Amino acid sequence: MLRRTRTTKKLAKRIDLQYFAHAHPFRQWRFWLSIAVPAIALSWFVLQRAQGGQKVYSAGPLSHAHAVFTQQCALCHVAQAGSFSAHVTDKACLTCHDAPVHHVNQTFTPECASCHVEHKGAMLLQATADRACTQCHADLRTRDGQPHYISSIAGFDRKHPEFSTLRSGKTDPGGVRLNHYLHLQPNLIGPNNTRMQLICDDCHGTKTADVTPHQAAELHPASLTEISTRRPHEQAYMPPPEFAKHCAACHTLQFDTHFGNEQVPHDKPEVIHTFLVKKFGEYIATHPGAVHEVNPPDRQIPERVRQARSARNAAEWVQFRVEDAEWLLYAKTCKQCHTLRPTNDSLPEVAKSNMTTRWLSHADFDHHPHRMMTCTSCHSRTPDSRETTDVLLPGIQTCQQCHRPQGSTKEAAEGRCYECHQYHDWTKTKPTKGDFTIQQLRGEARVPVLDR
Amino acid sequence: MLIDHTHRKWFLGSAAALTVAAAVYVPYALHSPQGPRGGSGIGLTFGTTGFLCMLFAGLLGLRKKFPIWRIGRAQTWMRGHLWLGLLSFPLILFHGGFHFGGSLTRLLMWLFGFVWISGILGAALQHFMPRFQTAQLPMETIYEQIDRVRGQLAEEAGQLVEETCSALEGEVSRASERQRAVSASAGTQGGLTVASGLRTNQQVSVQLRTFLDQEMRPYLERAGAHTARLGQSGQAQKMFQQFRVLLPPDLHSNLDDLENICEEKRQLDKQSRLHRILHGWLLVHIPLSYGLLVLGAVHAVVALRF
Amino acid sequence: MSSRPAAEIQLTIDGRPISVPVGTTIFDAARVNGIPIPTLCHQQNENPVGVCRVCVVDIGQRVYAASCIRQCESGMTVKTATDQVHAARNTLVELLMSDHPAPCARQQQSGDCELERLAGAAGIKESRFPHRTTPRGKDDSSAVIAVDHEACILCDRCIRGCDDIRDNWVLARRGKGYQAGIAFDNNLPMSESSCVSCGECMVSCPTGALTNKRVVGTQLGEGDVLDPSELLGLPIFQKKRHFKAGEIVCREGEFGSTAFYILEGQAEVFLASPIAHVKTEGSSKGFFSKLQSLLAPREGDRRSEESDRPFIPIDASVDLPYDSPIAELNPGDMFGEMTCMSYYPRSATVRARTDCVMLEMLRNVLDILQRNKTFRAQLERNYRARALDSHLRSVPVFKSLTQDFIDHLRDRVELLRFNPGQVICRQGDPADSFYLVRIGFVKVSEQRPGGELVLAYLARGGYFGEIALLSGSPRSATCTALDHVEVVRIVGEDFQLMLDRFPEVRQKLEAIAQERIKENLRHTVQTQNVPVDQFLAQGLMEAQSLLVLDLEKCTRCDQCVRACADAHEGVSRLVREGLRFDKYLVATSCRQCRDPLCMVGCPVGSIRRRNTLEVIIEDWCIGCGLCATNCPYGNINLHPFPAELDDPSHPGQTIAGVRVKATSCDLCHDHAEPSCVYACPHDAAHRVNPPEFFAGMLAQPAPRTDGS
Repeated sequence: MLRRTRTTKKLAKRIDLQYFAHAHPFRQWRFWLSIAVPAIALSWFVLQRAQGGQKVYSAGPLSHAHAVFTQQCALCHVAQAGSFSAHVTDKACLTCHDAPVHHVNQTFTPECASCHVEHKGAMLLQATADRACTQCHADLRTRDGQPHYISSIAGFDRKHPEFSTLRSGKTDPGGVRLNHYLHLQPNLIGPNNTRMQLICDDCHGTKTADVTPHQAAELHPASLTEISTRRPHEQAYMPPPEFAKHCAACHTLQFDTHFGNEQVPHDKPEVIHTFLVKKFGEYIATHPGAVHEVNPPDRQIPERVRQARSARNAAEWVQFRVEDAEWLLYAKTCKQCHTLRPTNDSLPEVAKSNMTTRWLSHADFDHHPHRMMTCTSCHSRTPDSRETTDVLLPGIQTCQQCHRPQGSTKEAAEGRCYECHQYHDWTKTKPTKGDFTIQQLRGEARVPVLDR
Repeated sequence: MLIDHTHRKWFLGSAAALTVAAAVYVPYALHSPQGPRGGSGIGLTFGTTGFLCMLFAGLLGLRKKFPIWRIGRAQTWMRGHLWLGLLSFPLILFHGGFHFGGSLTRLLMWLFGFVWISGILGAALQHFMPRFQTAQLPMETIYEQIDRVRGQLAEEAGQLVEETCSALEGEVSRASERQRAVSASAGTQGGLTVASGLRTNQQVSVQLRTFLDQEMRPYLERAGAHTARLGQSGQAQKMFQQFRVLLPPDLHSNLDDLENICEEKRQLDKQSRLHRILHGWLLVHIPLSYGLLVLGAVHAVVALRF
Repeated sequence: MSSRPAAEIQLTIDGRPISVPVGTTIFDAARVNGIPIPTLCHQQNENPVGVCRVCVVDIGQRVYAASCIRQCESGMTVKTATDQVHAARNTLVELLMSDHPAPCARQQQSGDCELERLAGAAGIKESRFPHRTTPRGKDDSSAVIAVDHEACILCDRCIRGCDDIRDNWVLARRGKGYQAGIAFDNNLPMSESSCVSCGECMVSCPTGALTNKRVVGTQLGEGDVLDPSELLGLPIFQKKRHFKAGEIVCREGEFGSTAFYILEGQAEVFLASPIAHVKTEGSSKGFFSKLQSLLAPREGDRRSEESDRPFIPIDASVDLPYDSPIAELNPGDMFGEMTCMSYYPRSATVRARTDCVMLEMLRNVLDILQRNKTFRAQLERNYRARALDSHLRSVPVFKSLTQDFIDHLRDRVELLRFNPGQVICRQGDPADSFYLVRIGFVKVSEQRPGGELVLAYLARGGYFGEIALLSGSPRSATCTALDHVEVVRIVGEDFQLMLDRFPEVRQKLEAIAQERIKENLRHTVQTQNVPVDQFLAQGLMEAQSLLVLDLEKCTRCDQCVRACADAHEGVSRLVREGLRFDKYLVATSCRQCRDPLCMVGCPVGSIRRRNTLEVIIEDWCIGCGLCATNCPYGNINLHPFPAELDDPSHPGQTIAGVRVKATSCDLCHDHAEPSCVYACPHDAAHRVNPPEFFAGMLAQPAPRTDGS
């Protein structure tokens, strides 16, 4: 049986009445740690400062373009006299950068830093948020009160209009006739009478345009400046097909049986005329007997009733042959693609080819990043297009299948405004140049006080 | 503190505050041109509110230093600490727009994260540890006094053994009064002829003393000592059982007492361990929160400048 | 401790049907019902042993039973006064008388030998039985007490007084048969024994076996007219002491055993304890403390009744004014009576103002003096002349009494003395007077079906008897002297006169009486709950306010202790340790017991209960530690406080020192809520009324606890 009893008094008497006055090791630890941790934190901060770094103040890493002057806050954060705060001013940006105005009629011009948000890490500064654009374009006001564009666009997938070309029902003004349907038929007769199937690349030399000096730029987008973000149009857009490269293999320009497969140059009628005169002249000189031959009727020219004409002399023979050849060319061969207009002169006038390389007037586009896709996945109407006037530009919905504003998070391609549109009107650019030294940029020397 | 139905108001209030904050944040984050930033008006408001919440939570420490100041009941402060502290983290996340920022702010966020998580851990511990401790340690005492109590236990054990051995050795004068009574009831009268009522057993008393010196005293005097044989209740029970066989039945109660002392010591050791668990998180939470507040203040000054 | 409702049993005594609780002795049952049974060896304040057998009664069995130890049984029929019983008693007295030399020393000295009185009452002149032939001898070795073993009737009263009451354990029985007697230590001569000459045995002895020595031979009879100076000139006084001006006669807090009587010169009595330290004061010294007092504001002094408590009761014929605790003692004044009679620590410091001559007397001397009518008359005269004013006025309700009324009372009040355990007035008796406690402690208790319920302990300045006088009903409670008590009795008609003349006194008294009745009722309701074993075992039923910590919420952070220390000058009045009840830790902090044992014995009455329920320790505590010892729960502790002390080497100057004072939880009475509860961050600490708080638990069947 237990005799040891526990009574309140017995228990209480065991306790030192002043025990709480002396800190137990546990509390001591707590106390000293509570002093040590803030002290360490502060000394860390002071140390960071002492090492010359202003980086510790940084609200986040700078973009690649500015990363080099992470230690030099004052380059951008201009201290103003009498004010504690040192905000980024446009002046600081304009020291190095040009920023042509967007539109003369815009009601206000936002500060640089309000769209180009820094301290968000290694990112493109020009990759502005849609909000930067939509703050005006969601409900567009202009200074003269006249909206020149669609006045409420909230994003690429919200109230963004169809591309203006398609919206206005424009037709292709091209002067060279082309039937995409026919060209894409199987078993076309190719060179040397081979049967062949044409593909897009055969005419729209995308393969040859692939290797460009800008490849390097794509791999390192940060090295692009705002001016050269976009590739030149001739590289970004499909180059117009060229006769020599893309047509000539099938569309041969024979002009006379005497010359077999020899072709006229693909050039102006005047040049062809000269060529023909020269060619036939040379021929008659070497074959004087040919003057008297009678040409069989040319079945290939149905429109013209063949009249067997006998040349009286070499000169006449040349004239007749040239006339025949030109008839063949202008009534059939050239006319197949070109629009020929009769003139007062004997030779027709060939209408300009007038090929459109850029259908998007307000936006930029680059085929190159899209090269992983088949052409017809976007240009889906092409295989059925029989008219030259058909505009085969894909509609905005085609783009929106991949491009959505919240690009990266929604497993979709970039869909922010800046992807296609530019704010600054670079046609009005003027040269700028900063005057910092390397030391100043790297924070090893003081920056002269900005007084601009 | 235990979060029970009395926290209903605080819970609803915090939930409402969080909802309001989120309701403000979402449109703000979507529509502000620069995205959510600490420096914008709303961001600054989030930051200030969050910092004030943290400051309030931190003031609990100060408030505990002056427990008698009539500036609101301590448990009101504690509730505020819990809920505002909980609320402050999302607010600060809103303030930073879920970005960690530069080295200072990144450090702040990490610190805050640790403080917050350790706080939640502590609150969670406080939900079941006291209950566990109460159930497991019927003989717990004040943690700070465990050393002292342990010393007293050793002393008590010494006295008990001394008393028992005296009885065994037949020394009436040193035997307890109770034993005298026991022996007296065995047929003797008064205090004079008592000795005959006590059995003499020199050998057992030597064993008992040896046991005290070699097993019990070292065990009782050393903190922890789980490895000691007496540290395991099963082993201890066996050891005492052996003595029970050796000792006359009227001295068994002394053995029970000795065993009880060992049990108390085991519980004290266990209390030490449990106490360290229940309070250990504070070693992280409190120092880091001070660091957080200091650097937070630095951040506020720096951020207002740039 | 146990107020467990016990079953009542019915029995008949002398034909009267009587109902008493189980465990009551026949003697007590008869006494309570006003049936006198003679006794010798039994005294109310001692445990019965039943050796003299004078109290035998007929209980219808083969042999008569000693009523003092025989417990009542259900259906018992007791006859206390049949002829047979008288005959048996007389025979017993005769047998005792045969061992007793008549008249013995006591009978000669004061005529109050109890045995000889009994014999006289029974008409026994001479014992029929032969006297003992072998003498047992005398012990003359003590300087103060004469031991005449011949006169000893072996009633054991002295032994119980020495061992049980005084806890001195000097006296015991010796020898067998004719040689049986009392012995000091191992039968040493009294002067060589460890006797401390307290005199308890002498007071206890019914016969002349233990008498005051020097009085033997002076033939002082009760009622003798003797000039006090003559009396004081007797050689009974061991010490006539001379004090130089400025010399300290006795210090507060010291334990002593003597009383002083001033023969010549003047002395001042004062409290050296710094007042107002136990109260947490908000003295603002710097900005910080100002701020602190701003942040920890006192909610006014809720102790409304404190402000009109102008006197501190001390163990002298005067009380000390609260504001300047100092008073003057003149020749003819006596002080230290309580110390001498009941061994309380000195309640105040006395310093000789002029050169003084004082008589320092031990208890036996004081006893003699107090038995002497002339001396008593003088003491009473002194009291009436000097102390009655302040004593009456120290009681808040009598503050408005006018001087002429006090003068009227002056010669009409009566000073009565009671021995420990003696009943002053009994529940159910008709009320005829009002009492004011002058010396000692009075227990006010009520006899309930469940047993005795202590309502209050009254110390100097306390008063009782007003409820019955106001309502004209019988006494509502029993008042018992706990030690040597002296009360001032105001007879009913004077009391009525006072009520008629001073309506505000009547009003106040009625208000207080109402309060007391209400409080008593509350107790009744609470005690009628059926409590759980453990609840009772821990004494929780006695508590009116418990500090409990919900252990499932408590993280053991110790904030409560720190708060307490902060609120009380760095001294915690609670210990976060104690027993558990259910999931609650009953912390070691004052429980405001219904039956506050701590209050008994405070020499300066600084521990007391307020009109509400809190037990508080007033500032003038002298640090004797009696209350701490008395508290069964360890809730009162002694702490050193810095104080200005008299410089022993340079009289009149003070030096910084340390003074010990008792502290106990004051419920932070100047705040709305106790600081510990206020400061608990985890909602774990609560101050609760146990029966209410645990009501839900108590209604359930008793929780089985493991172990014994």
